[in-house]
Amino acid sequence: MATRRERVPRRRAHRWLRSAGAVVLFAGLSWSLRGADAKVDFNRDVRPIFSDNCYTCHGPDGAKRKAGLRFDLKEGALAKLKSDNFAIVPGDPSKSALIQRITTKDEDDRMPPAKTGKHLTEAQVATLKRWIAEGAEWKPHWAFIPPEHQSPPVVKEKRWARNPIDGFILARLQKDRLKPSPEADKVTLIRRVTFDLTGLPPTPAEVDAFLADHKPDAYDRMVDRLLASPRYGEHEARYWLDAARYGDTHGLHLDNERSMWPYRDWVVAAFNRNERFDQFTIEQLAGDLLPDATREQKIASGFNRCNVSTSEGGAIDEEFYVRYAVDRTETMATVWMGLTVGCAVCHDHKYDPISQKEFYRLYAFFNNFTEKAMDGNALLPPPTLRLTAGEQDKKLSDFSARIAELDRRIIEEVAKFSYTEPAQTNAAVWTNRAEYVWVEDDFPPGAIAQINGGTAELQLVEGAAAFSGKRALRRTDKGLAQDFFTGASQPLIVGMGDALFAHVFLAPDDPPKAIMLQFHTGDWLHRANWGDPDAIAYGEKNTTTKLLLGDLPKPGQWTRLEVDVEKLGLKPGAKIDGLAFTQFGGTVSWDKAGIVTATEQEDRSGVSQLAWEKREKAKENSTLSQELKDALKAAPEKRTPQQDKALRDYFVANIYAPARSTFEPLQSELKDLKKERQKFEDSIPATLVSEEMAKPRGSFVLKRGQYDQPADRVEPGVPAVLPLLKARSDATNRLDLARWLVSLDHPLTARVTMNRFWQQFFGMGLVKTAADFGSQGEWPSHPELLDWLATEFMQSGWDVKHMLRLIVTSATYRQSSRVAEPSLRVDPQNCLLARGPRFRLDAEMIRDQALYTSGLLIEKMGGHAVKPYQPPGIWEAVGYTTSNTAKFEQEHGEALWRRSLYTFWKRTAPPPYLTTFDAPSREKFCVRRERTDTPLQALVTMNDPCYVEAARHLGARMMEHDAKEARRLDYGFRLLTARHPNSREQRILQTLLDKYEAKYRQNPDAAKGLIAVGESPVNDKLNASELAAWTMVASSLLNLDETLNKN
Amino acid sequence: MNPLHERLHLLNRRHFFKSTGLAVGRIALAGLMFPELARAAGASGKSVRSHPVLPGLPHFAPKAKRLIYLFMNGGPSQIDLLDYKPGLPKIYDTDLPDSIRMGQRLTTMTSGQTRFPIAPSKYEFKQYGKSGIWFSELIQHTAKVADDLAIIKTVHTEAINHDPAVTYIQTGNQIPGRPSLGSWLSYGLGSECDDLPAFVVMTPRWSAKRDAQALYQRLWEAGFLPTKHAGVALRAKGDPVLYLNDPPGVDKEARRDMLNAVSQLNQLEYARLGDPEINTRIAQYEMAFRMQSSVPDLTDISKESKATLDLYGPEVTMPGTFAHSALLARRLAERGVRCIEIFHREWDHHGDLPRDLPLQCRDVDQACYGLITDLKNRGMLDETLVVWGGEFGRTVYCQGKLSRENYGRDHHPRCFTMWMAGAGVKGGMVHGETDDFSYNIVKDPVHIRDINATILQRMGIDHRRLTFKFQGLDQKLTGVEEANPVQGILA
Repeated sequence: MATRRERVPRRRAHRWLRSAGAVVLFAGLSWSLRGADAKVDFNRDVRPIFSDNCYTCHGPDGAKRKAGLRFDLKEGALAKLKSDNFAIVPGDPSKSALIQRITTKDEDDRMPPAKTGKHLTEAQVATLKRWIAEGAEWKPHWAFIPPEHQSPPVVKEKRWARNPIDGFILARLQKDRLKPSPEADKVTLIRRVTFDLTGLPPTPAEVDAFLADHKPDAYDRMVDRLLASPRYGEHEARYWLDAARYGDTHGLHLDNERSMWPYRDWVVAAFNRNERFDQFTIEQLAGDLLPDATREQKIASGFNRCNVSTSEGGAIDEEFYVRYAVDRTETMATVWMGLTVGCAVCHDHKYDPISQKEFYRLYAFFNNFTEKAMDGNALLPPPTLRLTAGEQDKKLSDFSARIAELDRRIIEEVAKFSYTEPAQTNAAVWTNRAEYVWVEDDFPPGAIAQINGGTAELQLVEGAAAFSGKRALRRTDKGLAQDFFTGASQPLIVGMGDALFAHVFLAPDDPPKAIMLQFHTGDWLHRANWGDPDAIAYGEKNTTTKLLLGDLPKPGQWTRLEVDVEKLGLKPGAKIDGLAFTQFGGTVSWDKAGIVTATEQEDRSGVSQLAWEKREKAKENSTLSQELKDALKAAPEKRTPQQDKALRDYFVANIYAPARSTFEPLQSELKDLKKERQKFEDSIPATLVSEEMAKPRGSFVLKRGQYDQPADRVEPGVPAVLPLLKARSDATNRLDLARWLVSLDHPLTARVTMNRFWQQFFGMGLVKTAADFGSQGEWPSHPELLDWLATEFMQSGWDVKHMLRLIVTSATYRQSSRVAEPSLRVDPQNCLLARGPRFRLDAEMIRDQALYTSGLLIEKMGGHAVKPYQPPGIWEAVGYTTSNTAKFEQEHGEALWRRSLYTFWKRTAPPPYLTTFDAPSREKFCVRRERTDTPLQALVTMNDPCYVEAARHLGARMMEHDAKEARRLDYGFRLLTARHPNSREQRILQTLLDKYEAKYRQNPDAAKGLIAVGESPVNDKLNASELAAWTMVASSLLNLDETLNKN
Repeated sequence: MNPLHERLHLLNRRHFFKSTGLAVGRIALAGLMFPELARAAGASGKSVRSHPVLPGLPHFAPKAKRLIYLFMNGGPSQIDLLDYKPGLPKIYDTDLPDSIRMGQRLTTMTSGQTRFPIAPSKYEFKQYGKSGIWFSELIQHTAKVADDLAIIKTVHTEAINHDPAVTYIQTGNQIPGRPSLGSWLSYGLGSECDDLPAFVVMTPRWSAKRDAQALYQRLWEAGFLPTKHAGVALRAKGDPVLYLNDPPGVDKEARRDMLNAVSQLNQLEYARLGDPEINTRIAQYEMAFRMQSSVPDLTDISKESKATLDLYGPEVTMPGTFAHSALLARRLAERGVRCIEIFHREWDHHGDLPRDLPLQCRDVDQACYGLITDLKNRGMLDETLVVWGGEFGRTVYCQGKLSRENYGRDHHPRCFTMWMAGAGVKGGMVHGETDDFSYNIVKDPVHIRDINATILQRMGIDHRRLTFKFQGLDQKLTGVEEANPVQGILA
């Protein structure tokens, strides 16, 4: 399996190596960047050597600095050393201790030390010597100097250049005596640019129209058409959503679904309306903080909520607050500034001038969200925004008014009641755990006895056959039989640590296969089983619905069965009003059942506030409000008058029996109303948004990044190496940070952003390391061009479409991508752009192309994510069993054929047909996808039902296009590659078609099997065998290298 | 990656064309012209494969050609399996002394408990093998190969919850986004197999309670490494490898016809455009075709002898069981796959441990024995590293209600037990000591970073030197903090 970005032509490399030898090999790598320049450039040539080899011990990290020497600052590098030597003596390499230390033969003295595993090459040593000899000129790191508007270089070949971009490219090519490639043919161009701006290929009609358009501005008008298409926003959004780590699940632990898709739709819309990039930035990082923030701006602020979150049992809130804030800080720094600030979570950055303290000052901007650390595994962990439309707002406020009115009436009624606590009864005070017998001789009062499965009636046997009292329950049966009751007027009340019990006698000559006790608490889902676990089919084994408690008790004797309420999933406070004595076969007697408990079983709550309070306090999960819980907790004599009143009012309104007839109708109305409102609310889409705490949480430097080791307190701020952030007097917050990022003197945002746009079109940024503009990043291949693009971007008013138009209308972009000899030799990776871009399409484009060219694509924009075909078991293999995304349920109809942008993204198991083509998991930001070629990709495009179905439709489309086979083949070929096949290609396809036609004619069942793949109806006007043959030809076309590539 | 390596890597990649059996043009010959580079690239000097070894690797002669990692997801209880504490029954239900707990952090599942009562293991321990290592009755089969195992009792981690902890041990970082162990091995060492992926993962079913902790694809994903290094799931249901099977109505001949035509058309394109990547694609389609036969061959166990099958226990013939996966692991190892990992779920026993742990052990115990024995019988154990363990251990104190017969245990990151076997790991030894409560380490701590450093070392990799530049840093599996192979267990 081969990585695509490693592109070196074999044969040429060979020749080159043979003639030049191994040393040139090193130089060769920076060859393309260095050009024919004579003088050493500090930033380009020297800093990378220092950074990679020296900064760990002689860099920005003060804690790890050795010998007080640092090479990241001029003052440090030129300072006198403790030994009275100078590391660097400008102009004199022989006096410079640096040179001595890197060239010495003495292993102990030589730098970098052997244990670092680093060593300088001869070429690097030579560079350092030359640089010192030339005067050791020092410059600040290029990326921290604000870009200056560059005038495009004047070049001779004016006829080739179309806009300023080309001047920069051409000037650089000329340094290596390279010539640009001629313009690609029109067919290649329209396919290239249509994919690049909309993510889809052009139709044959569009190609024809473009070919027929001979006006000089034909290309430009086409570009305008594409930029105006709503598909543009869908395509462009995709790149941004990688960076924003957008997904449809929480990402950690349960990985439940969460609702972020309105944010995704906002991104699409923002690109389509060509929102200024500065505004785009501000709204996503701080839309919620804008004065009078609009709904759209709040949705945009969901950017900050895209990070992965958890609600894992046992997780510690503080730890996750820290993680979320770190993630947000890193994401912001990478996406806007290309800085790897994450290194400074634990210590000062090793390479870039970002101290640990500065990291935490950035972090302080992102540490004040009102969200909870634990997301509750909820679809909508607050803060969220309901996206009401039309009448929905009014309807919601109507609900609120009606609810308020009912609340008011309840309060009124409460005031009318006077309540006095009745005198204590003599009921036993239950302090110790004791046995409370519930069933003895008869079922408890109120019980409605029934039989399930058995034939005979309820049989009560008397005398010696009973375990205690007078009678026992006995049954003989061949299969499943249950004697049971519900509706006991005095239900058993479960307390913490209680155990349920019953006594059983199995006839020695006729034992059952299994016995079971089943308890009713509104449902019958609490079962305890003894004996054969499979005999009684009810419940799921080893869950509370079927607890397996081992073998049957010994027959011929009374045995006491006992089971902990916790094991049965019975929570304290639960009320058991029914019990089923169950057996499978045999003769079984039951007697004396009840509970071992410390909870008072006679419930006087309805008549005594004291009794209610006691019972309420014993509950593990009280549903009372915090205020009432606090009141309950306080000793009665210490309660405030407000607490007394609150408790009394609650008791009267909700518990007190004589008042029930007054309050029950009101409360049931209220309950229904609230339910109705909830149901209505749930039908309205909603999304996660940002919301700032009224008072910031307070941020600290964390020692070694540990959440529980705070050191100095820090205020929000930005690294000193970057422009000053003008703090406001009251409080500096995310809004200030966002505005600072897009201030015109910021050196990074425009460069980093334009670099990513460039990467999108050319496969590689002008700075190859799109995520790292620091000293460990790559030196830009065209620094002046990058600066020109950055300044043009800002001066245009951060106009994205303007910049993309500039790129795609440049002669550079429009070059043929044919790989010509000289450019391949000098510049195998095409850094210098002597030829046009050519690389594999992204995952989504490949799938969308198949759907689009086959006519299956449903171009519906936005909305809830969809679940198209996916092989079984992908989610199940990893999912937490109780997660709501543990089981994949494929959708049907339109959902199968939407653009891939709308595919549901489960982050712990992302769509395999996309990740196989290098789509990221979206657990973390991704500003540059890898691009690999693997056999697994071939399996997807050949065998994924989505592609097989698309092939069928494409085949049918070809058949219906024309009666002549040659024309059909031509049409299919054009749908995918935009061009006509030549005669050899035609022949190859025709031969293939003939083979398949013969094959499927002979085997119509195979044909039927093939065309049945996919849920779309089969076109029954077409002969099945023929359609199968065309399906296979179409599938071949979908698998062509030319189809899978942008050329 | 240093520049020379990068270049050599590219050269090696091209070697692979010669093994595809395809005429893919002049380029294919290039590798043959650089014998010196090929030698520098691979210590073996064997023909270079479709997953080539990274130049410069292995850093030293490897003991292990491959890794089989048996991962018990959820955190198995060391106290009930391997870390025998005979003194505990005497102090049943007494409180864990503060001098032991030392205020260390607890999960929020037990931090609210008022007591931390000692829960001794209810299982019997016996000594096995010449070495006399103590094993719980729950893993009697594994105990039979006691003299092949190095038991490490002092593994520790900082993570205290599943998601971060399992991400940590498998990717070297608690936060998602890093390459997994297997991806690093695939990246560094490639594979000796032309028609199977370098890194294969299996996720068999389990027998105890249905609710099991999740897995995450990130545990076998490639992070910032190229995606081709991601683990490929070998599935028990449906296509064994995703999308492996041709659609209905497409037989081998039909597929071959298509590949021939596509290849011809792609070669014409290459002639027109000259982009070498076109040839790479042709080769990838050929490898896909080969995988379509090699995978069914892999999963067809009908030719395994009864004696072999019996080693793994009765479930070995049931696809989707741990035993079946273990057998497939051996078959994958035979075919040259570099890293094979089995993730077995539901080892998270907060309550009712005595109900669930035996079921889990029954799933894996005999198969672990079977795998080691089978490898040994075939002379493969010497060159295969087998690792067994989870993401953390469990507490000596009870979570929830305690009785002699029933108890639960919370997560315990401060010490837990793993074992290794094969590849020159000393057999029949115990490394490290924990205190009388299996709570703190008293001798020879082994951080999970050290575990990973050890695994890499056995594979011939210096963990400090297997790096990938990402975000300006030479990223490593073992991260930035110190890590050392566990010398004590290495022969």
